[in-house]
Amino acid sequence: MAVPEGEWEGLMAAAQAGDARAYDALLRAILPLLRGVARRRIADPTEAEDAVQDALLTIHQLRATYDPGRPIRPWLVAIVDRRAVDRLRRRGRHAARETPLDELGETLAGPATNAGEKGVEAAQLRAAVAELPPSQRTALALAKLQDLPLAEASARSGLSVGALKVATHRAVKALRRRLGVKE
Amino acid sequence: MRTEELIGRLAGDLRPVRRMASPGWQAAAWLGFAVASIGVAVALHGIRHDLPSRMALPYEVGQWLASLAVGVTAALSAAMLARPDRSWRWALVPMVPLLFWLGTLGWGCLADFARLGEGALQPRTSWRCLGFVVSLGLPLTAVLLVLLRHAGPVRPVPVLLLAGLASAALCSAGLSLFHELDAALEVLIWHGGSVVIVALLGRMVGWPLLRRPPAVPG
Repeated sequence: MAVPEGEWEGLMAAAQAGDARAYDALLRAILPLLRGVARRRIADPTEAEDAVQDALLTIHQLRATYDPGRPIRPWLVAIVDRRAVDRLRRRGRHAARETPLDELGETLAGPATNAGEKGVEAAQLRAAVAELPPSQRTALALAKLQDLPLAEASARSGLSVGALKVATHRAVKALRRRLGVKE
Repeated sequence: MRTEELIGRLAGDLRPVRRMASPGWQAAAWLGFAVASIGVAVALHGIRHDLPSRMALPYEVGQWLASLAVGVTAALSAAMLARPDRSWRWALVPMVPLLFWLGTLGWGCLADFARLGEGALQPRTSWRCLGFVVSLGLPLTAVLLVLLRHAGPVRPVPVLLLAGLASAALCSAGLSLFHELDAALEVLIWHGGSVVIVALLGRMVGWPLLRRPPAVPG
Protein backbone atom coordinates (compact mmCIF):
# COMPACT_ATOMS: atom_id res chain seq x y z
CA MET A 1 0.00 0.00 0.00
CA ALA A 2 1.45 3.36 -1.06
CA VAL A 3 1.74 5.93 1.72
CA PRO A 4 1.51 9.62 0.73
CA GLU A 5 4.92 11.17 1.13
CA GLY A 6 5.44 12.85 4.49
CA GLU A 7 2.27 11.39 6.06
CA TRP A 8 4.03 9.24 8.67
CA GLU A 9 6.52 12.03 9.36
CA GLY A 10 3.64 14.45 9.98
CA LEU A 11 1.90 11.97 12.30
CA MET A 12 5.09 11.48 14.31
CA ALA A 13 5.63 15.25 14.60
CA ALA A 14 2.06 15.54 15.93
CA ALA A 15 2.71 12.63 18.33
CA GLN A 16 5.80 14.41 19.66
CA ALA A 17 3.54 17.37 20.44
CA GLY A 18 1.24 15.03 22.40
CA ASP A 19 -1.47 14.15 19.82
CA ALA A 20 -2.51 10.64 20.96
CA ARG A 21 -4.84 10.08 18.01
CA ALA A 22 -2.07 10.78 15.47
CA TYR A 23 0.21 8.49 17.43
CA ASP A 24 -2.33 5.67 17.48
CA ALA A 25 -2.88 6.08 13.71
CA LEU A 26 0.87 6.10 13.04
CA LEU A 27 1.61 2.97 15.09
CA ARG A 28 -1.20 1.06 13.35
CA ALA A 29 -0.08 2.29 9.92
CA ILE A 30 3.53 1.22 10.42
CA LEU A 31 2.65 -2.30 11.72
CA PRO A 32 2.91 -3.98 8.27
CA LEU A 33 6.36 -2.43 7.76
CA LEU A 34 7.55 -3.54 11.23
CA ARG A 35 6.13 -7.06 10.74
CA GLY A 36 7.76 -7.33 7.31
CA VAL A 37 11.21 -6.47 8.67
CA ALA A 38 10.82 -8.75 11.72
CA ARG A 39 9.63 -11.74 9.64
CA ARG A 40 12.57 -11.35 7.27
CA ARG A 41 14.87 -11.83 10.26
CA ILE A 42 12.85 -14.37 12.31
CA ALA A 43 11.08 -17.39 10.81
CA ASP A 44 8.93 -18.18 13.89
CA PRO A 45 5.81 -15.90 13.62
CA THR A 46 5.25 -15.68 17.41
CA GLU A 47 8.85 -14.69 18.03
CA ALA A 48 8.69 -12.17 15.16
CA GLU A 49 5.54 -10.62 16.67
CA ASP A 50 7.36 -10.32 20.03
CA ALA A 51 10.14 -8.44 18.21
CA VAL A 52 7.51 -6.10 16.71
CA GLN A 53 6.19 -5.38 20.22
CA ASP A 54 9.73 -4.74 21.47
CA ALA A 55 10.18 -2.34 18.55
CA LEU A 56 6.96 -0.47 19.44
CA LEU A 57 8.25 0.00 23.00
CA THR A 58 11.58 1.30 21.70
CA ILE A 59 9.84 3.67 19.28
CA HIS A 60 7.82 4.97 22.24
CA GLN A 61 10.94 5.35 24.36
CA LEU A 62 12.96 7.11 21.62
CA ARG A 63 10.22 9.27 20.07
CA ALA A 64 11.97 12.47 21.17
CA THR A 65 15.04 11.55 19.08
CA TYR A 66 13.14 11.54 15.78
CA ASP A 67 13.81 14.60 13.60
CA PRO A 68 10.70 15.34 11.44
CA GLY A 69 12.97 16.91 8.83
CA ARG A 70 14.27 13.44 7.97
CA PRO A 71 12.40 10.46 6.46
CA ILE A 72 10.95 8.22 9.20
CA ARG A 73 11.26 4.87 7.41
CA PRO A 74 15.02 4.34 7.98
CA TRP A 75 14.49 5.32 11.64
CA LEU A 76 11.71 2.71 12.06
CA VAL A 77 13.50 -0.01 10.10
CA ALA A 78 16.70 0.42 12.13
CA ILE A 79 14.77 0.08 15.41
CA VAL A 80 12.74 -3.03 14.48
CA ASP A 81 15.80 -4.66 12.91
CA ARG A 82 17.79 -4.11 16.13
CA ARG A 83 14.98 -5.61 18.27
CA ALA A 84 14.70 -8.63 15.94
CA VAL A 85 18.45 -9.26 16.16
CA ASP A 86 18.23 -8.97 19.97
CA ARG A 87 15.45 -11.60 20.02
CA LEU A 88 17.49 -13.96 17.83
CA ARG A 89 20.53 -13.58 20.09
CA ARG A 90 18.51 -14.17 23.24
CA ARG A 91 16.91 -17.26 21.70
CA GLY A 92 20.35 -18.54 20.67
CA ARG A 93 21.54 -18.24 24.27
CA HIS A 94 18.44 -20.06 25.60
CA ALA A 95 18.77 -22.83 23.01
CA ALA A 96 22.35 -23.47 24.12
CA ARG A 97 21.12 -24.20 27.67
CA GLU A 98 18.10 -26.34 26.78
CA THR A 99 17.72 -29.98 25.67
CA PRO A 100 14.80 -30.76 23.33
CA LEU A 101 12.45 -33.20 25.05
CA ASP A 102 11.77 -35.29 21.96
CA GLU A 103 15.34 -36.49 21.88
CA LEU A 104 14.90 -38.45 25.11
CA GLY A 105 14.58 -42.15 24.36
CA GLU A 106 11.30 -44.00 24.78
CA THR A 107 11.30 -47.73 25.49
CA LEU A 108 7.62 -48.32 24.79
CA ALA A 109 5.12 -46.39 22.71
CA GLY A 110 2.51 -46.00 25.51
CA PRO A 111 3.29 -42.94 27.61
CA ALA A 112 1.94 -44.57 30.80
CA THR A 113 4.41 -47.46 30.60
CA ASN A 114 7.35 -45.10 30.31
CA ALA A 115 6.10 -43.00 33.19
CA GLY A 116 5.85 -46.15 35.31
CA GLU A 117 9.38 -47.16 34.51
CA LYS A 118 10.60 -43.67 35.32
CA GLY A 119 8.68 -43.82 38.60
CA VAL A 120 10.44 -47.04 39.63
CA GLU A 121 13.81 -45.60 38.64
CA ALA A 122 13.09 -42.43 40.61
CA ALA A 123 12.08 -44.42 43.70
CA GLN A 124 15.28 -46.50 43.48
CA LEU A 125 17.36 -43.37 43.09
CA ARG A 126 15.67 -41.66 46.04
CA ALA A 127 16.28 -44.70 48.22
CA ALA A 128 19.93 -44.83 47.15
CA VAL A 129 20.42 -41.13 47.86
CA ALA A 130 18.75 -41.49 51.28
CA GLU A 131 21.35 -44.08 52.24
CA LEU A 132 24.28 -41.75 51.57
CA PRO A 133 26.04 -40.11 54.54
CA PRO A 134 24.66 -36.56 55.21
CA SER A 135 27.77 -34.71 53.93
CA GLN A 136 27.67 -36.62 50.61
CA ARG A 137 23.93 -36.03 50.31
CA THR A 138 24.34 -32.27 50.85
CA ALA A 139 27.26 -32.08 48.41
CA LEU A 140 25.28 -33.94 45.74
CA ALA A 141 22.20 -31.76 46.22
CA LEU A 142 24.07 -28.49 45.98
CA ALA A 143 26.74 -29.22 43.40
CA LYS A 144 24.90 -31.60 41.07
CA LEU A 145 21.13 -31.28 41.49
CA GLN A 146 20.95 -27.52 42.06
CA ASP A 147 24.00 -27.06 39.83
CA LEU A 148 25.45 -24.28 42.01
CA PRO A 149 28.99 -23.00 41.41
CA LEU A 150 31.44 -24.71 43.82
CA ALA A 151 32.15 -21.48 45.72
CA GLU A 152 28.46 -20.92 46.42
CA ALA A 153 27.82 -24.57 47.31
CA SER A 154 30.75 -24.35 49.69
CA ALA A 155 29.35 -21.20 51.34
CA ARG A 156 25.93 -22.81 51.81
CA SER A 157 27.08 -26.18 53.09
CA GLY A 158 29.95 -24.98 55.26
CA LEU A 159 32.22 -27.56 53.56
CA SER A 160 35.47 -26.43 51.91
CA VAL A 161 35.61 -26.55 48.09
CA GLY A 162 38.03 -29.51 48.31
CA ALA A 163 35.81 -31.44 50.74
CA LEU A 164 32.82 -30.69 48.55
CA LYS A 165 34.54 -32.11 45.47
CA VAL A 166 35.59 -35.27 47.32
CA ALA A 167 32.10 -35.74 48.84
CA THR A 168 30.38 -35.27 45.46
CA HIS A 169 32.75 -37.72 43.79
CA ARG A 170 32.18 -40.33 46.51
CA ALA A 171 28.41 -39.81 46.40
CA VAL A 172 28.28 -40.39 42.64
CA LYS A 173 30.49 -43.45 42.98
CA ALA A 174 28.29 -44.89 45.75
CA LEU A 175 25.13 -44.30 43.70
CA ARG A 176 26.65 -46.02 40.67
CA ARG A 177 27.57 -49.03 42.78
CA ARG A 178 24.14 -49.14 44.38
CA LEU A 179 22.26 -48.85 41.07
CA GLY A 180 24.49 -51.39 39.35
CA VAL A 181 26.13 -49.02 36.83
CA LYS A 182 29.54 -50.22 35.70
CA GLU A 183 32.46 -47.79 36.21
CA MET B 1 -0.68 -9.09 25.14
CA ARG B 2 -1.83 -8.52 21.57
CA THR B 3 0.09 -5.98 19.51
CA GLU B 4 -3.01 -3.85 18.85
CA GLU B 5 -3.67 -3.73 22.59
CA LEU B 6 -0.08 -2.59 23.20
CA ILE B 7 -0.53 0.20 20.64
CA GLY B 8 -3.66 1.34 22.52
CA ARG B 9 -1.71 1.46 25.77
CA LEU B 10 1.22 3.35 24.23
CA ALA B 11 -1.11 5.94 22.68
CA GLY B 12 -2.98 6.22 25.99
CA ASP B 13 0.34 6.80 27.79
CA LEU B 14 1.47 9.49 25.32
CA ARG B 15 2.95 12.67 26.79
CA PRO B 16 4.32 15.56 24.71
CA VAL B 17 8.11 15.36 24.37
CA ARG B 18 10.65 18.07 23.66
CA ARG B 19 12.39 17.17 20.42
CA MET B 20 16.04 16.37 21.04
CA ALA B 21 18.69 18.75 19.67
CA SER B 22 20.43 17.58 16.48
CA PRO B 23 23.48 15.32 16.94
CA GLY B 24 25.74 18.11 15.66
CA TRP B 25 24.49 20.47 18.38
CA GLN B 26 24.81 17.79 21.06
CA ALA B 27 28.41 17.11 20.04
CA ALA B 28 29.18 20.87 19.93
CA ALA B 29 27.66 21.43 23.38
CA TRP B 30 29.67 18.61 24.90
CA LEU B 31 32.87 19.73 23.13
CA GLY B 32 32.41 23.24 24.55
CA PHE B 33 31.99 21.82 28.05
CA ALA B 34 34.95 19.44 27.65
CA VAL B 35 37.31 22.11 26.29
CA ALA B 36 36.35 24.48 29.12
CA SER B 37 36.91 21.78 31.80
CA ILE B 38 40.24 20.71 30.32
CA GLY B 39 41.23 24.38 29.90
CA VAL B 40 40.67 25.00 33.62
CA ALA B 41 42.66 21.86 34.53
CA VAL B 42 45.54 22.91 32.25
CA ALA B 43 45.51 26.46 33.69
CA LEU B 44 45.69 25.00 37.22
CA HIS B 45 48.73 22.89 36.28
CA GLY B 46 50.45 25.77 34.45
CA ILE B 47 51.46 25.65 30.78
CA ARG B 48 54.88 24.13 30.08
CA HIS B 49 57.60 26.76 29.77
CA ASP B 50 58.87 25.58 26.37
CA LEU B 51 55.43 25.40 24.71
CA PRO B 52 56.12 28.10 22.04
CA SER B 53 59.30 26.34 20.87
CA ARG B 54 57.56 22.92 20.87
CA MET B 55 54.67 24.29 18.85
CA ALA B 56 57.13 25.60 16.26
CA LEU B 57 57.99 21.97 15.37
CA PRO B 58 55.70 20.68 12.59
CA TYR B 59 55.83 17.14 14.00
CA GLU B 60 54.65 18.29 17.44
CA VAL B 61 51.90 20.49 16.01
CA GLY B 62 50.70 17.68 13.72
CA GLN B 63 50.54 15.25 16.62
CA TRP B 64 48.69 17.72 18.84
CA LEU B 65 46.18 18.63 16.13
CA ALA B 66 45.64 14.94 15.39
CA SER B 67 44.73 14.20 19.03
CA LEU B 68 42.37 17.19 19.01
CA ALA B 69 40.79 15.98 15.75
CA VAL B 70 40.28 12.50 17.26
CA GLY B 71 38.39 14.08 20.18
CA VAL B 72 36.17 16.24 17.97
CA THR B 73 35.35 13.58 15.37
CA ALA B 74 34.78 10.85 17.98
CA ALA B 75 32.28 13.06 19.83
CA LEU B 76 30.43 13.86 16.61
CA SER B 77 30.50 10.23 15.53
CA ALA B 78 29.13 9.07 18.93
CA ALA B 79 26.27 11.61 18.70
CA MET B 80 25.45 10.46 15.15
CA LEU B 81 25.55 6.74 15.95
CA ALA B 82 23.25 7.30 18.94
CA ARG B 83 20.45 8.00 16.42
CA PRO B 84 18.89 4.89 14.87
CA ASP B 85 18.71 6.25 11.31
CA ARG B 86 22.30 7.50 10.94
CA SER B 87 24.76 5.42 8.98
CA TRP B 88 27.22 3.15 10.83
CA ARG B 89 29.89 4.69 8.57
CA TRP B 90 30.08 7.59 11.02
CA ALA B 91 32.12 5.19 13.15
CA LEU B 92 34.87 5.34 10.51
CA VAL B 93 35.28 9.15 10.65
CA PRO B 94 37.43 9.30 13.83
CA MET B 95 39.55 6.42 12.54
CA VAL B 96 41.27 8.75 10.02
CA PRO B 97 42.75 11.18 12.60
CA LEU B 98 43.29 8.27 15.01
CA LEU B 99 45.48 6.43 12.49
CA PHE B 100 47.30 9.68 11.72
CA TRP B 101 47.88 10.28 15.46
CA LEU B 102 49.19 6.76 16.05
CA GLY B 103 51.24 7.09 12.84
CA THR B 104 52.95 10.30 14.00
CA LEU B 105 53.70 8.70 17.38
CA GLY B 106 55.11 5.58 15.73
CA TRP B 107 57.15 7.68 13.37
CA GLY B 108 58.39 9.73 16.36
CA CYS B 109 59.54 6.52 18.08
CA LEU B 110 61.62 5.61 15.03
CA ALA B 111 63.05 9.15 14.79
CA ASP B 112 64.00 9.08 18.51
CA PHE B 113 65.63 5.69 18.04
CA ALA B 114 67.67 7.01 15.08
CA ARG B 115 68.71 10.07 17.10
CA LEU B 116 69.31 8.62 20.55
CA GLY B 117 69.86 4.92 19.94
CA GLU B 118 68.63 2.37 22.45
CA GLY B 119 68.15 5.00 25.16
CA ALA B 120 65.00 6.10 23.33
CA LEU B 121 63.47 2.68 23.91
CA GLN B 122 63.63 2.83 27.70
CA PRO B 123 60.56 4.82 28.63
CA ARG B 124 60.17 6.42 32.05
CA THR B 125 57.01 5.74 33.98
CA SER B 126 54.58 8.63 34.10
CA TRP B 127 51.66 7.88 36.40
CA ARG B 128 50.80 11.59 36.33
CA CYS B 129 49.81 11.30 32.65
CA LEU B 130 47.59 8.35 33.36
CA GLY B 131 46.10 10.02 36.43
CA PHE B 132 45.24 13.21 34.54
CA VAL B 133 43.63 11.50 31.52
CA VAL B 134 41.68 8.97 33.62
CA SER B 135 40.51 11.35 36.38
CA LEU B 136 39.30 13.99 33.91
CA GLY B 137 38.44 11.65 31.02
CA LEU B 138 36.02 9.42 32.97
CA PRO B 139 33.73 12.22 34.21
CA LEU B 140 33.72 13.74 30.71
CA THR B 141 32.81 10.33 29.26
CA ALA B 142 29.97 10.05 31.78
CA VAL B 143 28.63 13.49 30.81
CA LEU B 144 28.65 12.55 27.10
CA LEU B 145 26.94 9.22 27.83
CA VAL B 146 24.20 10.93 29.85
CA LEU B 147 23.69 13.26 26.88
CA LEU B 148 23.58 10.28 24.48
CA ARG B 149 21.73 7.78 26.70
CA HIS B 150 19.11 7.29 23.98
CA ALA B 151 21.77 5.18 22.19
CA GLY B 152 21.09 2.34 24.66
CA PRO B 153 18.33 0.53 22.76
CA VAL B 154 20.03 0.99 19.39
CA ARG B 155 23.83 0.98 19.24
CA PRO B 156 25.22 1.02 22.78
CA VAL B 157 28.69 -0.46 22.28
CA PRO B 158 30.12 1.83 19.55
CA VAL B 159 28.71 4.89 21.35
CA LEU B 160 30.27 3.80 24.66
CA LEU B 161 33.68 3.27 23.07
CA LEU B 162 33.59 6.47 21.00
CA ALA B 163 32.54 8.57 24.01
CA GLY B 164 35.56 7.26 25.94
CA LEU B 165 37.83 7.86 22.94
CA ALA B 166 36.57 11.44 22.51
CA SER B 167 37.12 12.33 26.17
CA ALA B 168 40.51 10.68 26.46
CA ALA B 169 41.87 12.16 23.20
CA LEU B 170 40.90 15.70 24.29
CA CYS B 171 42.44 15.13 27.74
CA SER B 172 45.59 13.90 26.05
CA ALA B 173 45.71 17.08 23.92
CA GLY B 174 45.30 19.13 27.11
CA LEU B 175 48.00 17.12 28.86
CA SER B 176 50.48 17.92 26.06
CA LEU B 177 50.15 21.63 26.93
CA PHE B 178 51.59 21.33 30.44
CA HIS B 179 53.30 18.00 30.84
CA GLU B 180 56.89 17.74 29.72
CA LEU B 181 56.95 14.36 28.10
CA ASP B 182 59.00 14.48 24.94
CA ALA B 183 60.07 10.97 23.94
CA ALA B 184 57.56 9.64 21.41
CA LEU B 185 57.57 6.16 22.95
CA GLU B 186 56.62 7.63 26.33
CA VAL B 187 53.82 9.64 24.76
CA LEU B 188 52.64 6.55 22.88
CA ILE B 189 52.63 4.38 26.01
CA TRP B 190 51.23 6.86 28.54
CA HIS B 191 48.89 8.95 26.39
CA GLY B 192 47.85 6.03 24.14
CA GLY B 193 47.52 3.68 27.13
CA SER B 194 45.37 6.19 29.02
CA VAL B 195 43.09 6.57 26.01
CA VAL B 196 42.58 2.80 25.81
CA ILE B 197 41.95 2.57 29.57
CA VAL B 198 39.37 5.39 29.51
CA ALA B 199 37.60 3.89 26.49
CA LEU B 200 37.38 0.46 28.19
CA LEU B 201 36.41 1.84 31.63
CA GLY B 202 33.81 4.04 29.93
CA ARG B 203 32.36 0.95 28.28
CA MET B 204 32.16 -0.90 31.62
CA VAL B 205 30.84 2.02 33.67
CA GLY B 206 28.45 3.27 30.99
CA TRP B 207 26.89 -0.09 30.15
CA PRO B 208 24.27 -0.11 32.95
CA LEU B 209 23.37 3.48 32.07
CA LEU B 210 22.57 2.65 28.44
CA ARG B 211 20.97 -0.78 28.95
CA ARG B 212 17.78 0.23 30.68
CA PRO B 213 14.87 -1.71 29.15
CA PRO B 214 11.88 0.33 27.96
CA ALA B 215 9.02 0.35 30.47
CA VAL B 216 5.59 -0.98 29.50
CA PRO B 217 2.95 1.62 30.29
CA GLY B 218 0.42 0.08 32.68
